[in-house]
Amino acid sequence: MAPSKAPAGHFSILYFAAASTFTNRANEHLSAPVEARDLFSKLEELYPGIKDKVLSSCAVTVNLSYIDIDGDDAPDLGVVIKEGDEVAIIPPVSSG
Amino acid sequence: MASETVIRSLRQQIASCESQLHHLKRQLAEAEYQDQQQRTNLASEQGVNTRPDPLAHDFSYGIHDDFKSEVLAVLAQSEKTAPPQRRWPLEADEYKRYGRQLIMPEIGLQGQLRLKGASVLVVGVGGLGCPAAAYLVGAGVGTVGLVDGDVVEESNLHRQILHSTAKVNMTKVESAMIALHSLNPKVELVPHQGRLTPETALSTLQSYDLVLDCTDTPASRYLISDTCVLLGKPLVSASALRTDGQLMVLNNPPLPPGNTSGGPCYRCVFPKPPPPESVVSCGDGGILGPVVGTMGILQALEAIKVLTKKPSASSNESAPADPPSLLIFSAYASPMFRTIRLRSRKLKCAVCSAHATVTREALNSGSLDYVQFCGTVNPIDALTSNERISAENYAKIRLDVNPFTGLEPSKDSHILLDVREKVQFDLCNLEGSVNVPFSTVSSTPINGRNRTASEPDPEVGWISELRQHADKPIFVVCRLGNDSQITVKKMKELGLDNEGQRWIGDVRGGLRAWRNNVDKEFPEY
Repeated sequence: MAPSKAPAGHFSILYFAAASTFTNRANEHLSAPVEARDLFSKLEELYPGIKDKVLSSCAVTVNLSYIDIDGDDAPDLGVVIKEGDEVAIIPPVSSG
Repeated sequence: MASETVIRSLRQQIASCESQLHHLKRQLAEAEYQDQQQRTNLASEQGVNTRPDPLAHDFSYGIHDDFKSEVLAVLAQSEKTAPPQRRWPLEADEYKRYGRQLIMPEIGLQGQLRLKGASVLVVGVGGLGCPAAAYLVGAGVGTVGLVDGDVVEESNLHRQILHSTAKVNMTKVESAMIALHSLNPKVELVPHQGRLTPETALSTLQSYDLVLDCTDTPASRYLISDTCVLLGKPLVSASALRTDGQLMVLNNPPLPPGNTSGGPCYRCVFPKPPPPESVVSCGDGGILGPVVGTMGILQALEAIKVLTKKPSASSNESAPADPPSLLIFSAYASPMFRTIRLRSRKLKCAVCSAHATVTREALNSGSLDYVQFCGTVNPIDALTSNERISAENYAKIRLDVNPFTGLEPSKDSHILLDVREKVQFDLCNLEGSVNVPFSTVSSTPINGRNRTASEPDPEVGWISELRQHADKPIFVVCRLGNDSQITVKKMKELGLDNEGQRWIGDVRGGLRAWRNNVDKEFPEY
């Protein structure tokens, strides 16, 4: 189950909870580099509908650090996701 | 007919006995609880000695007055000369009870005294709240408050470890009080019956030192987090669904809004609530007991860490809090745990930043509607009445001789499509039904716009299968009658109704209605 290392020119992306349900997978490799501001539209191309249904409320991390890309003037929109990075899509889980 | 009457009467008798038994069990549990409390009170009033006092008899039945007054004088004096000054900071039995954690450097005597002096509010006494409260009460937190508006259900018992079979239908708060009191009678338990609302949140949380969010909706998560920021309380928030869990210590340190050294709040991490239709409850999505148990236990652990934190050596203030993090638990992934480093408070956070719009006044005035903020899902009503059939009428098609044609009932006369996920279909299904999981239905593209493409996509298996029997009406059923309606709509968009030639509709109320109105033995899960 552990995600394999990303091949050259790619980064790993992990999908948790509702993101995993929507994409029907726990992780995959996507081509790098990608600027953080473009991440959601890239995923929307792969999984139509994911932006509104899942991503809009998700936390996003790069190499286990939270990045703030919520809103047009968010501080981390310019972060570049590089080859070998690990990105995680973390939807809020609210039940308990 | 006679046998039918007997069956009905027997059923009634069983139901009546069951409800009586249920009532008795509840009374027993309550009586046991009260008995236990009385014993505790009695023991603390009279000291540990509850044996009858031999002097009492002599005093009541006459001894010499001189002797009596002499004895009384001595007794009075002995009371004066023995002031209740304690030699040791904890009571004797507390050293024993908490010994295993007392000898750890992380806790020690000072840590135990901090726990004893602390009060924690557990909001939600379910899968998270039960184990969390059990460990906090076990560890000797002085006061533990419990908030919940629900009653214990049978489907709770596999994970909500404070509740038990005999306590089904008792309020969760009451049931938890009984279990926690017998675990550790030294802890003061405070019941808060009912759900937390914006009107009650400030006054309920006010008197506690720390709050545990063990609730199960986005609205309550935002409400609790906002209230904690406004009152300056640290918050340990956890959640769990299926095989995943999340844990965060928020608003720690609990500095006033606008102070950037304070810990982030729930809104800093998740500023936007999830779309309401994407919110899945444990009842719909499922939950594995140890997954939610793990998260609840971790909440208790984080609470103990926050409460017993030692002041730093240099100053009187507490040592800096651990950097904020989000712990992700995925039971079937490797590694199972991931720790995400969180940012400090968001500069534009609606609650904890200098630009906060969520204030005490706003909360008190009731102008903050958390349910509206998080959105609600209206009950699905996608079909017209002639696209729907009741469970009873569908049963007639399956079970009865057709009154007009005199034909025997036939399951082959139509197609029954069950759109529950395969795992649920395998639990129980109606004979002859075909399973196409709703997830498959939803992910099937409607190819209308691609029709002109030179090479049309080969049609998905389930659709071509249904096209082969173009004359048979299709009845769609699911668990509760929502997914079935969406499926009917989609099948019509896919043209499976042959432009209205073939009837496609759903069984209203799904298999729940089938069980309630047709077949009482069909399993309820």
